[in-house]
Amino acid sequence: MASVDLRGLTKRFGSLAVVDNVSLKIDHGQLVCLLGPSGCGKTTTLRLIAGFLEPSDGEIHVGERLVSSRARTLPPEQRNMSMIFQSYALWPHMTVTENIVYGLRLRKLDRDTIAKKLAAILVTAKLEALAQRYPGELSGGQQQRVALARALIVEPETLLLDEPLSNLDANLREEMRFEIRRLHDEYRYTTVYVTHDQSEAMTTADLIAVMNGGRIDQLGTPEDIYARPESEFVARFIGASNVIKGTARDANHVAFAGATLKVAGAPLTAGQDAVVAIRQHDIGLSTQAPASPENAIKAVVTRQVYLGAVRDYMVEVADGTSLRAITPTETSVQKGSEVWLTLPPERCRALSR
Amino acid sequence: MTTIATDAPKSRIDLTRPILWLFAAFMIVLIVLPLSWLMVFAFTDKARHPTLQNFVTLFTDPAFLDPLLTTAIIATTSAVACCLVAAPIGWLVSRTDMPGRQIIRALVTASFVTPPFLGAVAWELLAAPNSGMLNQLYRYLTGAEDPLFDIYSLTGLIFVISCYTFPFVFVLVANALDNMPGELEDASAILGGKAWTTARRVTIPLALPALVAGALIAFLQAMTLFGSPAILALPAGFHTMTTKIWSLFQYPPKLELAAAAAVPLLLLTILLLQGQKFLLGRRGYSVLGGKYGPPRPIEMGPWRWAALAFCLLVLLNPVFLPYFALLNAAFSPNATTLVTPSTATLHNVVFVFTELSSTQLALKNTVILGASTATIGTVLALVAAYVTTRRVIASHRMLGFLATAPVAVPGIVLGVGLFLSYTRPPFVLYGTLWILLLAFLTINLPSAYQQLQAAFATIHPELEDASRILGASRLQSLRQITAPLLRTGVIATWCFIFIGVMRELSAAIVLFTSQTKVLSVLIYDLNESGDLAAISVLGIAMLVITFAVVLAVNRIPMFGGGAGAKLRNS
Repeated sequence: MASVDLRGLTKRFGSLAVVDNVSLKIDHGQLVCLLGPSGCGKTTTLRLIAGFLEPSDGEIHVGERLVSSRARTLPPEQRNMSMIFQSYALWPHMTVTENIVYGLRLRKLDRDTIAKKLAAILVTAKLEALAQRYPGELSGGQQQRVALARALIVEPETLLLDEPLSNLDANLREEMRFEIRRLHDEYRYTTVYVTHDQSEAMTTADLIAVMNGGRIDQLGTPEDIYARPESEFVARFIGASNVIKGTARDANHVAFAGATLKVAGAPLTAGQDAVVAIRQHDIGLSTQAPASPENAIKAVVTRQVYLGAVRDYMVEVADGTSLRAITPTETSVQKGSEVWLTLPPERCRALSR
Repeated sequence: MTTIATDAPKSRIDLTRPILWLFAAFMIVLIVLPLSWLMVFAFTDKARHPTLQNFVTLFTDPAFLDPLLTTAIIATTSAVACCLVAAPIGWLVSRTDMPGRQIIRALVTASFVTPPFLGAVAWELLAAPNSGMLNQLYRYLTGAEDPLFDIYSLTGLIFVISCYTFPFVFVLVANALDNMPGELEDASAILGGKAWTTARRVTIPLALPALVAGALIAFLQAMTLFGSPAILALPAGFHTMTTKIWSLFQYPPKLELAAAAAVPLLLLTILLLQGQKFLLGRRGYSVLGGKYGPPRPIEMGPWRWAALAFCLLVLLNPVFLPYFALLNAAFSPNATTLVTPSTATLHNVVFVFTELSSTQLALKNTVILGASTATIGTVLALVAAYVTTRRVIASHRMLGFLATAPVAVPGIVLGVGLFLSYTRPPFVLYGTLWILLLAFLTINLPSAYQQLQAAFATIHPELEDASRILGASRLQSLRQITAPLLRTGVIATWCFIFIGVMRELSAAIVLFTSQTKVLSVLIYDLNESGDLAAISVLGIAMLVITFAVVLAVNRIPMFGGGAGAKLRNS
């Protein structure tokens, strides 16, 4: 069926490679998130898939078809895709109904079929009452649902979403995340979803491709990406990690701030510089020396903030590195106190890059 | 819903690219061909041997040097006069609590749309040395023998040109002040600047680039105008560059010299436009809108009435007096006699529309040319604006440049170029309406293009993308999405061109023949024969048509009346 396969995809504007040799295979019915900061090339990748841009190098295959290559790019209208735009791109001169059935009319479906499909999608998207309104008369969330309905009604092989939730307020955004996932599970289109919000990616995606500088830094399930980051960039970008720089003693020990840390993750080479990531939530903090000296480091509290559910500590270890630790509220230590940090070995991820 | 995907619409051939290349080729012919012939003639003799003799004659013969000097004087003094009048009015309208600000704006617009040659004729009615109504009044009141004003003089000409050029400066200055964030003035005030200090240190320096740019435009206008000097300078016995060029077309024609005389006008125009672009283009310095609050109007207390009086007094000259004179002449048995209810007559109207043989023809030609130029021009401008805002082809910049290039070609220069290009095979268009169509198209294209480009910029490109991805070809997207959204802008542009065609004289005067006379040329002819009453009738008819066109396209639903309502939320 309609898998989407990017092979060595490259897009250069002038001498700048905005998308740099990206390869990614998305199986039919999978939802893949392209996640990354602004300027990482994720939207350009999406527009390449849609056919709005021609690749400078590489190919895009949809199912068995070659749709983009340097020699020939199939125009967007012949790709049987749908897209939801950041601005929603609802046509202000058409009513909700006219907007939604636009794609069906282009496909020259008969009146009855159109009416039937329209009725069904209006129910799914909870838009029955708004069918005759103009987009300008709708709230942001309603506009978003019209955009969804318009994209889904044509039953595309591939659905593309370009930061679809970035214009919504926080509550609505959370709700729509699950809505998008629900609709995806219902229809099982191959979906490419572009976002810079990691929790959005976590809730919706089967696979997340973290992009940086035009390349895919790491591809994996949300759990892979979160729990087992492979690069410093991913560790920093996905959630709250401390990144520690030390020297490797052997394959899984690192010398850091006068202590030796046992770490998991990529095997290390003795004597080399090592980079280790540990989440703020995973660091234990106490005023007493821990029972086992393994992976314990002495530090001084430089800042302490009470956040209601948790406490947020900033501590400084012997070599001057600052670490952040999020602890339960019961752990209360004043600024300037000496504390012991415990870094569980299985949570310390040695990074390969 | 089924899980089987509906097929995407069948593939179509994308016609956009060939169409665009064709368009580019057409633009090149439109602009490059006449200018090339102009250059060829300017630098050759009758036998087409290369020579610089034309320019030697131009810069040594007093018959050419005098007009050159006169033109420089006229352009400079007009530009200065325009600034002196327009800057205070612009400031009063934009920044103060003067009463009737909207009315003043409307009146300036009225002088803007008045064809300068019509204004010149109106001032003949008012201030001709003997028959001028103001002079008659002066003699009646004082018993003096000598006239108060003589409009057939350098001063008179400068005065009339300034009357219809100052709106250019006004628009630029008022816009700059309208968009100037009030916070900038507030910031000066909070730091202790008094009203006058703030004006001197903040407001005026910020508006200065717009004022200087306006002065350059005024200079350009005054330099390239044909109608007013032809009507006022020729009876006074002197020439400007434009009238001199025109006279070189009279028998025996000296085309080489005409071409050579057009070259300085062309170069100076290009230079001045570059200067203007430079002044307005430095964004850090010029005044730009943003998310600032509206400026606070300056309270003038009792002075606001004095200010209003000043504005109205100024507007007496381009609007009230001339329109009064025209209306009076149209219904009076004698053009410069004050009409009374007992002497009012429809004789002039009847004469113009039934007895004057050329009226029908000129009206017909004008309407045909106006409508076709407006239609073709709008389409061309639309294509160019689409390509440049959406960057459809690699050379979109080139296309944008071609579409704006004619701005640098004064009407009479273009007229000369077109005359030289289309009086010879393979294109013998002289004597047909086609040559006028080409002239009007070229002249009106730049502003049409700029208007539509601005309109395009307000339509988010994702609106078109959304239509493409759902299965519409590029042309379908244009028709179904972009076109309806652009409708208001397109209609405005169409009107703009139509009105532009009606008032165009400087190119038409070189290109018309007896069968292809247009309204503006007819008015010029009637002035030669001294038939001012008929001109008044035609002038009023012209203005009526202008307003009728604007009203019609705004009201008739088919043409987009009510489109604004539909777009209320966009």
